Amino acid sequence: MGHSTIVTPTPQGGFQTHTVAHHFKTAEQEFQSAKLAFWLFLATEVMLFGGLFAAYIYYHDVYPETFQKGGALLDWKLGALNTGLLLTSSWTMAMGVRASQLSQRKQLVWWLVATVVCAAGFMVVKYIEYSTKYHHGIFAFTGLFSPDDHYAPDLQGLAYPQLYFNLYFTMTGIHGLHVLIGMIAIAWLIWRGAQGRFHSGWYTPVELVGLYWHVVDLIWIFLFPLLYLVP
Amino acid sequence: MAHGTDTSHGHGDTVVDHSHHAHVCSFQAFFGIYVTLLFLTFVTVAIAEPVSGLHLGSASMLVAMAVAAVKAALVMTVFMHLRWDTAMNNLAFLGSLIFLSLLFLFTLADHSTRQVADPIGGTPVEVKRFGQD
Repeated sequence: MGHSTIVTPTPQGGFQTHTVAHHFKTAEQEFQSAKLAFWLFLATEVMLFGGLFAAYIYYHDVYPETFQKGGALLDWKLGALNTGLLLTSSWTMAMGVRASQLSQRKQLVWWLVATVVCAAGFMVVKYIEYSTKYHHGIFAFTGLFSPDDHYAPDLQGLAYPQLYFNLYFTMTGIHGLHVLIGMIAIAWLIWRGAQGRFHSGWYTPVELVGLYWHVVDLIWIFLFPLLYLVP
Repeated sequence: MAHGTDTSHGHGDTVVDHSHHAHVCSFQAFFGIYVTLLFLTFVTVAIAEPVSGLHLGSASMLVAMAVAAVKAALVMTVFMHLRWDTAMNNLAFLGSLIFLSLLFLFTLADHSTRQVADPIGGTPVEVKRFGQD
């Protein structure tokens, strides 16, 4: 048995067989190793955004008025719409992982397509928000921050108004980058899923991309009230 | 958890390994969490000062963060399956949140004790901040 090839069970219906990498003893060991490594990666993601959240906590404490008036210039309705879109995509992603666990090839593809559509909707809303702000002279980086008459009166007399917007663009920018990367990863899952690559015997990539996508959702759950609904 | 390999389905020296078993959530469970998340988002918006005009003072931010924490907990335990995951995976992720709370705690402690950070002869020294006179 020393040189035997280990494969995972392959259900009926044109699914591809997964061969367990030779350095793993069992399919379970392979799955859990990948998952533990991915949870550690997600911990570094928490730390990446955690630093920005700490910056928010500190500066909000020092300049509460800047954050309150800056946040009032965002459209909370668009923020709420995006929250709904991401929560929906998190649900469809969870359903996609479930479909792969149950070897439901068609359902897997459609749940993932729904996830990408919601993610694309999120990015469209984000684009509308960013471009509106940019055209009125509000953007990250000092050189691009010169609010026009549309926004200037609201920011009159505030200490460091660009402080709030730098945090807004940095936090939502890095978050948006994660959404884009997630869309690429999910598109790849759709492609491979349609080929019958993922099934009850092996769905590790679906599980891991799913976890990643939920972290993207988790971060937005906190970004929305912190940036759009500053009391 | 079964770690053995089952040779009964094997062909030649290919072994079929049935060791991996996953917890599968029901449609109802996932949908229930989804609806709850949408409802909590509605609550977040409805009680937010800029939308409702409610004046909760300093509690406003705390309430918003508490609702967000409940939402995050639902996503983590059910959508991310942490409730049925191994202790090691729970430790890896929840450990990061514990260290994050340390970062937040000391950031807040630093700021909230600024004005008494450097007492001279028992008298707190007022520390001026940038942008304030």
